[in-house]
Amino acid sequence: MNTTRNQLIELLKRNNQSFISGQELSENLGISRTAVWKHMKELEKEGYQVQAIPRKGYRISGQPDKLSASSVKWGLRTTWAGKQLFHYPVVESTQAIGHQLAQKGSEEGTVILADEQTAGKGRMGRKWHSAKTEGIWMSMILRPPILPYKAPQITLLTAVALAETIESLTKSKPAIKWPNDIFFQDRKAAGILTEMQAEQDEIQYIVLGIGMNVNQSITDLPEDIQKTATSLKHETGTDWDLAPIIQQILAAFEMHYENYLHHGFKAVKEKWEHYGYKIGDQVSVSANKQKYKAEIIGLAEDGALKVRKPDGCEENLYSAEIHW
Amino acid sequence: MLKVQEIRELIKLIDESSIDEFDYESNGTKVSMKKQTGEVIQERTVVSEPVVRQETAAPAASPAPAQSQEQVKEEPEPAQPKEQNAGDFDHEIVSPMVGTFYSSPEPESDAFVKKGDKVDKDTVVCIVEAMKLFNEIEADVSGEIVEILVEDGELVEYGQPLFRVKA
Repeated sequence: MNTTRNQLIELLKRNNQSFISGQELSENLGISRTAVWKHMKELEKEGYQVQAIPRKGYRISGQPDKLSASSVKWGLRTTWAGKQLFHYPVVESTQAIGHQLAQKGSEEGTVILADEQTAGKGRMGRKWHSAKTEGIWMSMILRPPILPYKAPQITLLTAVALAETIESLTKSKPAIKWPNDIFFQDRKAAGILTEMQAEQDEIQYIVLGIGMNVNQSITDLPEDIQKTATSLKHETGTDWDLAPIIQQILAAFEMHYENYLHHGFKAVKEKWEHYGYKIGDQVSVSANKQKYKAEIIGLAEDGALKVRKPDGCEENLYSAEIHW
Repeated sequence: MLKVQEIRELIKLIDESSIDEFDYESNGTKVSMKKQTGEVIQERTVVSEPVVRQETAAPAASPAPAQSQEQVKEEPEPAQPKEQNAGDFDHEIVSPMVGTFYSSPEPESDAFVKKGDKVDKDTVVCIVEAMKLFNEIEADVSGEIVEILVEDGELVEYGQPLFRVKA
């Protein structure tokens, strides 16, 4: 890429909230307006989305899709996580592909990445908004040699890996909302959804799904979640390259996972509680068709959420709607 | 500590249920019950009983340094023939973990299976969710669903029977 092009991209990036006129660009870069126009056409070919409006000028409204299997593998410091990696521009859901690959025997650590999901999965069919190239939408196949009832611990472990990665990038501490949503203040930045195929005493496979909002502005998000969602960009004010974040998540995950398989859940529990959201606070709990107030104490030894009811009774929750 | 009356009550309930094995532990008292060919055998283990000590060294990880065991055998309830249910099904699909039972993949969609449906080994019959981990439960046997034992949204225990299947 030539330097004029780089300067042009820099100028457009700096002005990306507003339009910059062809005249201004041509003066800044010392090239003709026709040359500016030609550069714009080239940028479009490279995958930039260029808005050109008469009398207003140019604006870049979308960056090229830079994420690719090779951009993630380049510099990936893991032994097995992400060594098999599939990247798709658009899929319905990376989870669905994960299931297909797992059933065909794909090995542990196989990662499926997509720029865009048209039917991203949330809990119980809730949609996860996963727009093009603005976030990390990925799934990973796992085959842990543990009993199925322990598998939820892996989703808590993943939350710890995500929280640590996000903290090291943003330099601010996120919170983990039980079991595994990543929050900044009261806004969700990332979520995890895990699906498992298991027999009574053996896990066939797990498809671990991670969704993280990265480069969205709040206004890019659907209106109904604008007050409850956030992104790394919103928290830090900068755009992020996705590939290094993915690499860091995979490395953190692999480290915690290996440690968990060898030494158990205790270390995960401690780290989880370090990030735990609203520990010590009163919340309202709906579990097993009952609703009551309780105080969040922390995690039980097995990863259940430990709460204290007003009568002093402690309860371990495995599956509950918490009204935070 | 459980009262004799409570234990009696438990035995009765378990005897009438489809549960094969039952463990209960509280404040150092442990109650285990196991059914064998229709009987209820109850073992009660009192941990750290000061008087009777057993020589066998407990494993290091065990919280109790010494254990004594006494077995209380209750008379089984007048031998009711246990066949009252047995003829109706051949297999029970049980939950592999604690969690919420979901009969359908999404709240709005149809149930995975209904009573009377034929299932294969690989048929997904329900989801059990804990900590946002969704476990798709497969039938593991082929046959016909003759009974659904839990309701959508109900909390289920480890090992709790969910479906009855007739081969």
